[in-house]
Amino acid sequence: MSRIPVALQKRVRLGFALCALAVVVLLSRMGYLMIFRSSYYSTLAEELHEREREIKAARGRIFDSEGRILADNCTVCTVSVIHNQLEDPETVIQILSEELSMDPEKIRRLTEKYTSREIIKTNVDKETGDRIRARRLPGVKVDEDYRRYYPFQTLASHVLGFTGSDNQGIIGLEVMYDSVLKGINGRILTQTDARGMELDAVAEERVEPQPGNDLVLSLNIDLQTYAEQAAKTVMEEKQARQVSVILMNPKTGEILAMVSVPEFDCNDPFTLNTEANPETEEQKQDLLNAMWRNPCINDTYEPGSTFKIITMAAALEEGIVSLEDSFYCPGYRVVEDRRIRCHKVTGHGAETFLQGALNSCNPVFIDVGLRLGVDRYCQYFRQFGLLGKTGVDLPGEAGTIMHAQTDMGEVELATTAFGQSFQITPLHLITTAASLVNGGHLVTPHFGVRVLDAEGNLVKTFTYDTEKTIISEDSSRTLRYILKQVVSEGTGKKAAVAGYSVGGKTATSEKLPRRTGRYISSFLGFAPADDPQVIGLITIDEPVGVYYGGTIAAPVMAEIFGNILPYLNIPQEEKQQME
Amino acid sequence: MAKQAGRKREKQKKFYDYTLLFVIIFLSCFGLIMIYSTSYYTAQLKLNDPSYYMRRQASVLLLGFVVMIIVSKFDYHRLMKLAPLGYLISLVLMVLVDFTPFGIEYNGKKRWFGIGGHSLFQPTELVKITIILMMAAYIVKYLKVIDRRKTIIWMLLLTVPLIGLVAKNNLSSGIIIAGIVFVMYFVASKRKTNFVVLILLGAAVVVAAIVIGPMLVKMGVLQAYQLNRIMVWQSPEAYASDGGFQVLQGLYAIGSGGIFGKGLGNSIQKLGFVPEAQNDMIFAIICEELGLFGAACLILLFLFMLYRFLVIANNAPDLMGSLIVIGAMSHIAIQVILNIAVVTNTIPNTGITLPFISYGGTSLLFLMLEMGLVLSVSNRITLE
Repeated sequence: MSRIPVALQKRVRLGFALCALAVVVLLSRMGYLMIFRSSYYSTLAEELHEREREIKAARGRIFDSEGRILADNCTVCTVSVIHNQLEDPETVIQILSEELSMDPEKIRRLTEKYTSREIIKTNVDKETGDRIRARRLPGVKVDEDYRRYYPFQTLASHVLGFTGSDNQGIIGLEVMYDSVLKGINGRILTQTDARGMELDAVAEERVEPQPGNDLVLSLNIDLQTYAEQAAKTVMEEKQARQVSVILMNPKTGEILAMVSVPEFDCNDPFTLNTEANPETEEQKQDLLNAMWRNPCINDTYEPGSTFKIITMAAALEEGIVSLEDSFYCPGYRVVEDRRIRCHKVTGHGAETFLQGALNSCNPVFIDVGLRLGVDRYCQYFRQFGLLGKTGVDLPGEAGTIMHAQTDMGEVELATTAFGQSFQITPLHLITTAASLVNGGHLVTPHFGVRVLDAEGNLVKTFTYDTEKTIISEDSSRTLRYILKQVVSEGTGKKAAVAGYSVGGKTATSEKLPRRTGRYISSFLGFAPADDPQVIGLITIDEPVGVYYGGTIAAPVMAEIFGNILPYLNIPQEEKQQME
Repeated sequence: MAKQAGRKREKQKKFYDYTLLFVIIFLSCFGLIMIYSTSYYTAQLKLNDPSYYMRRQASVLLLGFVVMIIVSKFDYHRLMKLAPLGYLISLVLMVLVDFTPFGIEYNGKKRWFGIGGHSLFQPTELVKITIILMMAAYIVKYLKVIDRRKTIIWMLLLTVPLIGLVAKNNLSSGIIIAGIVFVMYFVASKRKTNFVVLILLGAAVVVAAIVIGPMLVKMGVLQAYQLNRIMVWQSPEAYASDGGFQVLQGLYAIGSGGIFGKGLGNSIQKLGFVPEAQNDMIFAIICEELGLFGAACLILLFLFMLYRFLVIANNAPDLMGSLIVIGAMSHIAIQVILNIAVVTNTIPNTGITLPFISYGGTSLLFLMLEMGLVLSVSNRITLE
């Protein structure tokens, strides 16, 4: 023991003491890091490890009035790559570009991005996704997802609309009822290793997605199909630009069918439905926007003679005209300094108000309009809900374009009285007509009836006020009588349906600018005439050849009514009489 | 001599430091567990064999254990005769590694000796032992004239070229070896003023590097990358993308451990975030999994090991034995303290392994040899 110098022993002890001191320093450093800075570093570390993934919620389905599915979900796949996990990028690029028919260079750019996850393509159909997954390519992820699917493809495309890649509504009911349909996405919070691989051992936080609610419409697939077929036929026959049909329950405002042919495929809304070959993206977008427009609500037009229903109703309600009042039509009427022609150039001669209505005689309605005067006419215009919008549950409804009351002179009043010089949407016209013939109750046109949850339990029933009266029951009855006569004896003869009484009014409006030979032929009709169960409006845009509404539009409505009235179980009136 | 010893054993009670032996066994087995815990995930991913690193380390450990026991039963004086040979071999190997194709690069550093591309071992670990033995022999021989200029110059002539060869490709090992030489000389020297001056000088250099460094960079004297490690040390968050990554990931691991840790095997940071977690940064994962409590226990166990060295050194049968133990003690102390200081970002980053715990076959084998020497010294102690 003594062989070791004491001084040396001391120095060894000193060395050990220095080590102990260093250990104390290090321990306090560790204590600082692991106690006081612990939450700081563990938060940073967790942020580094955590990955949040969304689980898409299934979007609610859309049913027709009979519970048939109009919009459903189908399983699709999202293909993505995780840069860190790629082992053989070239093979991945080649296989993905073949399977997804994408530009290899684009895929290369995406795979070279140093992100935790890069989406290559969404909405890949399940078969392709399964094929890619079966290859077991490291770094390639195929996640299942929902895509909107419309089993009837083009049926009611303008009404239903479609959804975008995030399952959000883009147009139509999909937008309007987005909050009902969309549901709440779920989340998976997982921890990952440095390459982004999810760790199984660490408990994941999972928030289950909540599926969206289902929407039940008043729209009926059968009625829609009848109407669409009739519209398509006449569009082809008349080489028309476009044909729209609206069918509505006049008592409730429920829309039974809304057709605008040509329709487009809701499952493939970004493909044009015409032969047009746009040169630029901008042109294509313009064409797509035009294709997606719903002319029934997005576009206004001069309604023409169908609007005489409104003038009639106002005059009857005001009591300034009776059916037997006599009028004289020389073929024109001079208002202030303007000579306004009747469609019959030779004139209808002497006629009663009823006959004037049956003839759709412009001078008669000019006289009636002038009798009402600007103030009263505008007051009825307002009262009938023609200003503003109908409040239909579709996005982008166009408002009425009408003269300001202060700017309205006799000429404007005269032309407005027979449906010219102002513009409304077809839906607005049929809604007002429905409100006038249903006994005078203002209705709100709508598609949405009920909301059901995913299990089919009732969540909500939409209610629309029909309490507001715009004309008396008497005036409404007289109006129905006149319009019934129009079909049985007047210009609307071709709208007659065997076994049913039909009321209606034809119209032929010349499009602006005038004298270009472009017309909109239309017919507005309802049946049965005494107790309307269904009201319909057909507009034929730019027919070639004969363009009179009574000649080309009325028979189409007759055909539609002939099909749908028995379908709606409305008894034939002759049979009733025979009993 | 063996017969003599055998006769002695019958008469006198021979000492053998079983406590130290136990600490060594415990530390190396704990090391195996931690290597498995830190490496199984990356080993599974890269090599499809989760226990790859653990099994390799275990087989080296087994060999090292046998070597340690055999060496501990030998008289260290006989082993000392091998010191000059070891010194020569070290010198030759270092020259071969540094300047010939026998040196094999790994991660951009030529540290491995190998033939035909197959790396065999890291000669620096051999250098550490031979330096300890060589210094012990030198000091024993010149103890009386240890502070003479000639003695010091000869000592420097013997050690500095070897340190230089090591530091060329492995600065941290160079620092460790220089440290061992410094400590051993300090213990032997009688003139303390030299050391006070040296320590003050060292501190001045460190302070200068921190304070004057950025100024020198601005003046264009120093290159920016040379200061990088110091910058990273001062604020790892700001340099996360270049160099601070490893340090920062280590801090994340330590910080998320808390007081009692996430539990053995539950580290997240080892899953590729801390690069090669089974090597230099293993202490960070120990902190994450076992918490402040587990890490402090480990450090205190190392301190206890140093205490056993102190006891053996101060009770050694002769100066030779004492100096060997002092060398080993300084070796372990420097490496443990520097490693933990680096991992906790107390000092700038430099690659130093944690003895007995970090993965590395050569390091473990020579450590066990060194421990064998220490145990051999302890075995010569006679209890009165």
